[in-house]
Amino acid sequence: MGREKEKEKPSEKALNLLRSRLSDPNFIFRPLSDSPDSNYSKLKFIISTSVTEACNNSILLLGPRGSGKVAVLELVLSDLLQQYPEAISVIRLNGLLHSDDNCALKEIARQLCMEHQLLFSKVASFDDNSQFMIAMLRECGLAHKTIIFVLDEFDFFAQGKQRLLYSLLDAMQSVNSQAVVIGVSCRLDVDQLLEKRVRSRFSHRKLLFLSPSKEDTERFMEHILSLPMDSSLPHNYAAEFNGRLKKILSDERFKELIDTYLSFNFTIGHLVRFLFQAVSYMDLNAGFLSLGNFKTALSSNQRQLKLESIRDCSVLELYMMVCMKRLEVKEQTSYNFYSVMTEYKSIHDSFQTSDYYAANVCLRAFEHLLQCQLISFIDNKGHNQSVEFRPVKLLISSAELHQGLKSYQQCPAILLKLMDR
Amino acid sequence: MGGKDNVSRQFTYPLKTTHRPLPICKTLKKKSKIATNFVTFTKQQYTKMPTETPRKQFQSPKKPKQSPNNVKSQSSTPSIHLSPQTPQLPLRRSSRRSLQLFTSKTVDEMLDLSTPRKALEALDGIGKCSGNNRKGSSVRTPRTLKCKFNEEDREIPEMGKVGEGNGEVEDAFCPVSPEALESKKRKKGLSEEGSVKMGKSPKCKLNEDLGKLGEGNGDVVSPEKRKKGLRNEESVKTRKSLRCKLSEEEMEIPDLGKLGDATFFPVSPQALESKKRKKGGEKRAVTRAMATRSLKKVNKEEKKGRKRVYYKKVVYDGGEFEVGDDVYVKRREDASSDDEVPEMEECRVCFKVGRGVMIECDDCLGGFHLKCLTPPLKEVPDGDWVCGFCQARKLGKDVEFPKPPEGKKRVRTLREKLLASDLWAARIESLWKEVDGSYWFRGRWYIIPEETASGRQPHNLKRELYRTNDFADIEMESIIRHCNVMSPKEYAKANDQGDDVFLCEYEYDIQWHSFKRLAEIDNDEDGECANGDEDWNSCKEDDSDTDEDMEYEEENERNAHARPSTTHQLAANSRKGRFFGIQKVGTKMIPEHVRCHKQTELERAKATLLLATLPKSLPCRNKEMEEITTFVKGAICDDQCLGRCLYIHGVPGTGKTMSVLAVMRNIKSEVDAGSIRPYCFVEVNGLKLAAPENIYTVIYEALTGHRVSWKKALQLLNERFSDGKKIAKGDDRPCILLIDELDLLVTRNQSVLYNILDWPTKPHSKLIVIGIANTMDLPEKLLPRISSRMGIQRLCFGPYNYQQLQEIISSRLKGIDAFEKQAVEFASRKVAAISGDARRALEICRRAAEIADYNMKNQISSVNSSTVKDVVTMADVDAAIQEMFQAPHVQVMKSCSKLSKIFLTAMVYELYKTGMGETTFEKLAMTFSCLCTSNGEAFPGWDTLLKVGCKLGECRIILCEAGDRHRVQKLQLNFPSDDVAFALKDSKDLPWLAKYL
Repeated sequence: MGREKEKEKPSEKALNLLRSRLSDPNFIFRPLSDSPDSNYSKLKFIISTSVTEACNNSILLLGPRGSGKVAVLELVLSDLLQQYPEAISVIRLNGLLHSDDNCALKEIARQLCMEHQLLFSKVASFDDNSQFMIAMLRECGLAHKTIIFVLDEFDFFAQGKQRLLYSLLDAMQSVNSQAVVIGVSCRLDVDQLLEKRVRSRFSHRKLLFLSPSKEDTERFMEHILSLPMDSSLPHNYAAEFNGRLKKILSDERFKELIDTYLSFNFTIGHLVRFLFQAVSYMDLNAGFLSLGNFKTALSSNQRQLKLESIRDCSVLELYMMVCMKRLEVKEQTSYNFYSVMTEYKSIHDSFQTSDYYAANVCLRAFEHLLQCQLISFIDNKGHNQSVEFRPVKLLISSAELHQGLKSYQQCPAILLKLMDR
Repeated sequence: MGGKDNVSRQFTYPLKTTHRPLPICKTLKKKSKIATNFVTFTKQQYTKMPTETPRKQFQSPKKPKQSPNNVKSQSSTPSIHLSPQTPQLPLRRSSRRSLQLFTSKTVDEMLDLSTPRKALEALDGIGKCSGNNRKGSSVRTPRTLKCKFNEEDREIPEMGKVGEGNGEVEDAFCPVSPEALESKKRKKGLSEEGSVKMGKSPKCKLNEDLGKLGEGNGDVVSPEKRKKGLRNEESVKTRKSLRCKLSEEEMEIPDLGKLGDATFFPVSPQALESKKRKKGGEKRAVTRAMATRSLKKVNKEEKKGRKRVYYKKVVYDGGEFEVGDDVYVKRREDASSDDEVPEMEECRVCFKVGRGVMIECDDCLGGFHLKCLTPPLKEVPDGDWVCGFCQARKLGKDVEFPKPPEGKKRVRTLREKLLASDLWAARIESLWKEVDGSYWFRGRWYIIPEETASGRQPHNLKRELYRTNDFADIEMESIIRHCNVMSPKEYAKANDQGDDVFLCEYEYDIQWHSFKRLAEIDNDEDGECANGDEDWNSCKEDDSDTDEDMEYEEENERNAHARPSTTHQLAANSRKGRFFGIQKVGTKMIPEHVRCHKQTELERAKATLLLATLPKSLPCRNKEMEEITTFVKGAICDDQCLGRCLYIHGVPGTGKTMSVLAVMRNIKSEVDAGSIRPYCFVEVNGLKLAAPENIYTVIYEALTGHRVSWKKALQLLNERFSDGKKIAKGDDRPCILLIDELDLLVTRNQSVLYNILDWPTKPHSKLIVIGIANTMDLPEKLLPRISSRMGIQRLCFGPYNYQQLQEIISSRLKGIDAFEKQAVEFASRKVAAISGDARRALEICRRAAEIADYNMKNQISSVNSSTVKDVVTMADVDAAIQEMFQAPHVQVMKSCSKLSKIFLTAMVYELYKTGMGETTFEKLAMTFSCLCTSNGEAFPGWDTLLKVGCKLGECRIILCEAGDRHRVQKLQLNFPSDDVAFALKDSKDLPWLAKYL
């Protein structure tokens, strides 16, 4: 018994360690930040020069979601905060929350007040806040303090009149301040969204966050998954764990597996999610990662959702979908509940199926299909119309429907026939 | 009222509580701003107060003549003294004391800077004076009397002028006038000579009369006051008779009274007496207030006379002191004991002051003769020089400086004393003559690094001082002499300007113990503004009530600001004229990297290329600036300035706003020089307004300083501009309104623009509007009634061509060898071809410098090679241009996942096939599966495919509808298909893609 506990302990510990690593962006992005070509060092250079040389900058961090824009930024900021304590204050805004200029300025004023232990008034107007911001920019510039504005989801700030960006960037070009505006966005065309006056004032540093190279991914996986040799974990255990991991990583099948997984989304965030899943499948009794874990994780990621929802449908619902499919084959692009019902009736009349239900039952089935999003309304018009009159569209392709019917266990044979005809 | 009381108590706390209504006090202050530009004084003319013992002795026989009451009334003269500034002093002083842990003084002494110290000095001066040939008491007695005469004589005409009320006091002392000549002579000559001359002057009789008067009674009170003051009946009679005489000659009495006062002001050694004085002053003020009501005209004169007279420049004790000068101030009473201040520093080796060039050690600040050094130097070396002693000490040796020869004490210079905190330095903020004739100045303390909370920081220079936000009213007497506190720039140039040179780069907040860089430019501008205001105020005779109230508020606020604990905490961002608590912002320590870092060429280049740095000259816009100048000047000088409106247009970054502002700066300097009438300038930015209507509020606030709602502001502005009503002072000045981003003011019915553009057409508006926008045809887009008002005079700022851009960049980079010539040309050509935006060009160059810097630093850290080029090359500029102008989508497409690549290929293929830009997901999926099957790829399934599409849509590589549309989702490429083809043609993992592109 006691032995078992001892045996279990290291594996549990290892699992916890791996999980906590995978959910800590600092740990994930640290090893990728050494080289001078990395975004980390470029970004750090830009920000630290504006701290030390007292200049203004505006930077855009672009890249698909999950490529670690904010994580790298946070890494840089935490490093710089350690390096220059007191000299940096960070103002964080999110486009989803503060896209309104008025509320964004208010938030800036609030955070500035918090940062400098000033009293903040909620009722201050737009003008007050913007002038307060400019005054603070000047004062902080004189006091050698850098204000860093982090605008997450930057594209939302680049809408409308863009007063916030204008007053911020205009202040930065006229006041002797030291401020950095960092826009983070996954939209690659975000600088085209800027108004011409704002664009002219923007200093257009761009950092592009791209997918890591294949070698980087391998290095990265090894970095994350291998256990440290000098921790509380038993040395033998850690050594064996790492040995097995190495074997897995060098396995051709594993490489294939990872390739398939990353073939549709090649970002670090995506990979980390996969690894987390795989690690969670780890068998605690065995205590080691196996190729099987990764396989399960992959298969759980490759689910065909529409097919699964077909599996949950009733036979009547299958009938209705087949009817819709038939209507489409007849080149009837637009159909509503009644036209589907006519088709259903005609099928029933010609084939005398046993599954014939009343219209109100069919309507229920129709509504359920709508809820499953297997069908949807064609347009958003006509909300006041009742459901049965609005034109709908089948959202599942005929190939998928066919596959679904085949895999459906109690599927009447007639349905498959109808599909083909 | 409660608040005011509170404030006044705060001010006067150690002296005496005043219950005098403050508004009066305000009036006084306001009126007292009659600035005299230049007053000369010899030391003899103005007898020094603290070392005034002889005079005191001289006065003492007189005192018995006066009744005790008399003394009181006499001492009560300096009523004006009680303006809110003065009494603030004790508080500030104590705060300073606590900061410095200066323990050697009793509380009493510390409370009042001037009086007790003066007294003390006076007391121990008795002993010293005899030996001191400067203040020999035997010589003194007659001399004082004479100089009194001089002073009176000099003062009369001045006050006469004041009486005329034109505020041209300055003229009275311009060198042309005979009085000034005389005073100059006097300045040169000894006092005896001066008195002889005086005897010759036609006013001799008067002088004697005055002298008598002075001897008889120190105070001259106007008749009105006499009615109240029953105590000094006799003396008043004398005065009255005198008055008649005077009024025949000069028509001015109260000032004479004041003058008499000045000379016979009793130097009271006890704080008690000073208290009495204050009390008296307070009474007097009440009296005067009553008199105001009873007799207006005389009161006016009297007020003028009984007021502090502010000067810009005073010659005192042989030195010329100006507002803005820095001076040494005595710190301790016993400081006078070692007051033989050596003008020259002694050599640290031979201990002789002498000819021969001396060199200063940059470490210990000791001075050395070049020939005394071992080995002797021929000339002063360039760069830093450290003496042999310091070098040795740095090496860890125990060094002793050569001891001075026997019997000779090493004399410390003022600089050494200051840096050893035996002295103070202060900056003169304002100079005035008190009612009692003593000269005071308001000083802003400097502090040495050791006295700050953080102590001396490693990067502090030896000669560094901090300017504090601590003010005090100090008597001129405590000034020792000038010192020279410089900004870093000046300091760097000051090589051989003597010993009294200090560096000041930071302001130190004594409450929050924080540092802040001095904003030089801002400060200067503010200073100019303030001066200008003063001048204009003094030109005006009648000040409206609102003015005084305003100033009272300002004063009040300033004091509230100064007090450490404000009772009413105000939010920082709710602006009532200023932001509360913003002075808190400041570093506790000055970061080292700012001071110790020596800038490389590249860093200097980056600094000058910043958008925020104002270039010294603005090249390439001379024609446009000239046009603006002629427009503005024509409009100002024109009496009517009817319908003046200028519309400036041009694409962003072509220097529109900058040119206008530069023109306004130039014109302002001309105004300061006096060649152009003063005007007011209001700048509004349309994009910074929350709503177009707010412009009224902003304009009104800029004109008057009051904040009202926009409707009210519109009404008031209408009254002012259309109906010609005056709302505040300075209304007769023409007003220039600069509206940046004018297009933002266009509302639905365009009423805002109409109103603003309609005012200039009104006969008495004196409004000039300069509008700036980007579009050329903005007036045409507006209603005809607006375009007819705006579109007449236009000025176009065309985009810069590449030569101009090149000139702009190279003018900024003048003297910095950081850029290859072709690099600059390349950048400017590129920008000129795209937009002609100067900001872009500057930013590209800055970015290129940044890239070069980055590469260089990386190389240094990695290879440590010495052959690193520190010049910005074409490659760097190219990289910067790529970063700025190239859309990043090609790179993203190149690096995106396998399925995304196939997806994009399928889209391009679909596009070629159908010729339609838009496709649906269903069709695309079919194509996709076709591609997959024919090239041996596994089809991932529709759901995965949908996700891939949505991912691409997120990055806006394709435009797509929301994912829940699924099969009917519409898709479209966001970039030209050629870009996709370019990006994917040679992808390694999917070579077959090229077939379909």
